Parts: sequence; structure tokens; C-alpha cells
Amino acid sequence: MGSSVTHAAAPPPPPPSPSSPPSSVGLAAALPPKQDEKAEPEKVDWLNLPCPIPFEEIQREALMSLKPELFEGLRFDFTKGLNQRFSLSHSVFMGSMEVPSQSSDTLKVPTAHYEFGANFLDPKLMLVGRVLTDGRLNARVKCDLTDNLTMKINAQLTNEPHFSQGMFNFDYKGTDFRSQLQIGNNAFYGGNYIQSVSPHLSLGTEIFWLGHQRKSGIGFAARYNTDNMVATGQVASTGIVALSYVQKVSEKVSLASDFMYNHLTQDVTSSFGYDYILRQCRLRGKIDSNGVFAAFLEERLNMGVNFILSAEVDHRKKDYKFGFGMTVGE
Amino acid sequence: MASKVSLKGKRKAGKGSKGPGERSACKCKCVKEWSTWAMKKAKVITHYGFIPLIIVIGMNSEPKPQLYQLLSPV
Repeated sequence: MGSSVTHAAAPPPPPPSPSSPPSSVGLAAALPPKQDEKAEPEKVDWLNLPCPIPFEEIQREALMSLKPELFEGLRFDFTKGLNQRFSLSHSVFMGSMEVPSQSSDTLKVPTAHYEFGANFLDPKLMLVGRVLTDGRLNARVKCDLTDNLTMKINAQLTNEPHFSQGMFNFDYKGTDFRSQLQIGNNAFYGGNYIQSVSPHLSLGTEIFWLGHQRKSGIGFAARYNTDNMVATGQVASTGIVALSYVQKVSEKVSLASDFMYNHLTQDVTSSFGYDYILRQCRLRGKIDSNGVFAAFLEERLNMGVNFILSAEVDHRKKDYKFGFGMTVGE
Repeated sequence: MASKVSLKGKRKAGKGSKGPGERSACKCKCVKEWSTWAMKKAKVITHYGFIPLIIVIGMNSEPKPQLYQLLSPV
């Protein structure tokens, strides 16, 4: 960490005058206080540990870098804000969607849909609703009941019977821990708990029970993060082991890697990706152990106008997906 | 769970006595039927009413947007 500070603060090339360059001296004068702070070991206050990340977001840096929303076809999103908190969104998608099939061939179905959405975002109440042309509704509600207790509702409702899903989450945030209770349809009950053990390390556990299939499971997770890196590990009794590591190489670049092992299906996947966050664009690319190469580019053309390119090439299955789109509005 | 209760109720009725078992089985069935009916109605209401609810809440929030802004693309 100390070395990255000195690299970032390398003095600019000296001016051609023979006298000592004043700019580097000015910069050097600004530096020492920062280096002194890093040289002293910080005293850990064990009674005032920071609040950990929520359990479901424990791998969020790795997911953000390695799993962008890849699509195939045309995508156009328009978000219109009516006031600070209320906005409407219109979204058009024309392309192929993959249908899970039993054989190893991918089955693609051409689809086109229009999605209308309404968002109401208040500090205490968040309502997000999206309705598609085939009648499916995606609803999300987040409500702060008190300072520490939050209720979240997530629902996908369809016109076909028995295909709708809903989930209630109750989150309690303590000073250095978070706990969550989940109740879902099909008699799904789950809970998780995560605790900060040190300023950088947090450990968590989760347990769930599926009523209709009489299945239950327990899992453990750990997250270690510093300013420049995040390492997480998750083990579950369903036979899944997931590890991830994200390193922030500089302000604009971060590298991520991910490893997943499924004991029941004897499936191993590992991927490695990069994430460039530049002034006008965000470029994410990844390569997978299944022979999949993917890239996702979001380019800011103008204020509020973004151009999106998505590409996913699967050499093993000979499946090539390319998509393009535009996003207008914040 | 409810099926086990109703089986016990049926066995008790088969023995020839209308005991409290059958009444509690009826109650459980009634509660289950009503809660299923309520969930179905709630699902239909949410399905049709959630987006209009967001729009109503949004149009009444400060600063109040105008009605034409809802439809115009500008």
C-alpha cells in the first residue's frame, strides 16, 4: 500500500530550467503527512468495528466486474425523471433469449418485448415496478421501518398460475453485525447473520429451509477487504464452494478472479476478468475456464446518453452472442 | 402438516364420535382455504395495482409533476 502511494504521487517531469523544479518540491511537501499516517500502525478499537457488508452482497465487487448483464440483440432504455424521486422508464428489447435445454445445444428463442417501469425513490421508501408486454410484473419494495430495521419485498408475478414468486426480507443492522430473515413462497424460510470480526475481516453464516421439497441447507462465508483488495470465500452444504478475489490495481483499473466448485455435479468453473472505469466509458472483459470470452462496454456519448456493446463468445458450444444498445436518461 | 391433521380428524370420525378432533380439522381447513383465497386475491390486486400505486404516490410527491409530463417524451 505504501508503494502504491509513492507510485501515484510520482513527481511530474522537471521543467528544462537548470534550477531545482519547484513543482516536485511542492508535491513532495504535500506528501509526507500521508506517508507518516501509513507508517504508524493504526490502533484497532475492538469495540467499535465497522458495520459489515450485507450477506448477499458479500461478493459484489467480483460480481460487478465478472458478471455484467450480457445480452444478445438490441436494447434501448429510456428513463424519464418527473421529479427528483419519481421516474418512468421505457425499455425495448429485440433479440434472442436462451432457453435452458437438456441437450448440450443451446436453444435460442427470438423474443421482443417492451417493458414499462415506474420508480419512486425516497430515502425511507423505495418502490420499483416493471411490467412487460406478456403481463409479467417485477416488483421491488424497500421500506425503512426504523433506523435499523428494513423490510424488502421482491416479487415476480405472472399470468400463468403457480409461476409467481415472492420473497419478504427483514434486515436488522446492528453496530457491527447484520442479520436477515427471509420468507418466500413455496414455504421458503431463510436467515443469515454476518459479523465484523476485525476492521478488515467479517464472517457470516446462512441457513435456509425449503418447505415443499423438504430441503435445508447451511452455509458459511468470509470476507477480507482492505482498501485495495477484497477476498471472499463461501461454502454451502449444497456442495458449493465459491472463492473470489478482486484487486484494485489503480483508480481506474481493477482485476477480478473467481472460482466455483459444485460437488454434486462435479462442476468446476474459474474465471478471470478486468474492469476499466475510465472517464467516458466502462469496459469489462472476462475469460472463463469453459472457453467463454465476454466483454461489455458502456460508453458515455453525452450527458445521460450511453452506448452499450455486449459480446459473448463460447468456443466450446460454438455460441456467439453480440448485442448493442443505448440508454437514455440517468 | 394440514393433511396429517385432517387424516387424524377422519380417523376419529370413523370411530363413531364427533370429537374435538374433527372440529379442529374443520377449523384448520377453513383457515387454509380462506388464506389461500386471500393470497389469490392479493396476488391479483398487486398484479394490476402496483404500478398505478407507484404512479399515484409519485404524482403526489413534492414537487408535484404535471399530468402531461406523464405521457410526453420530453
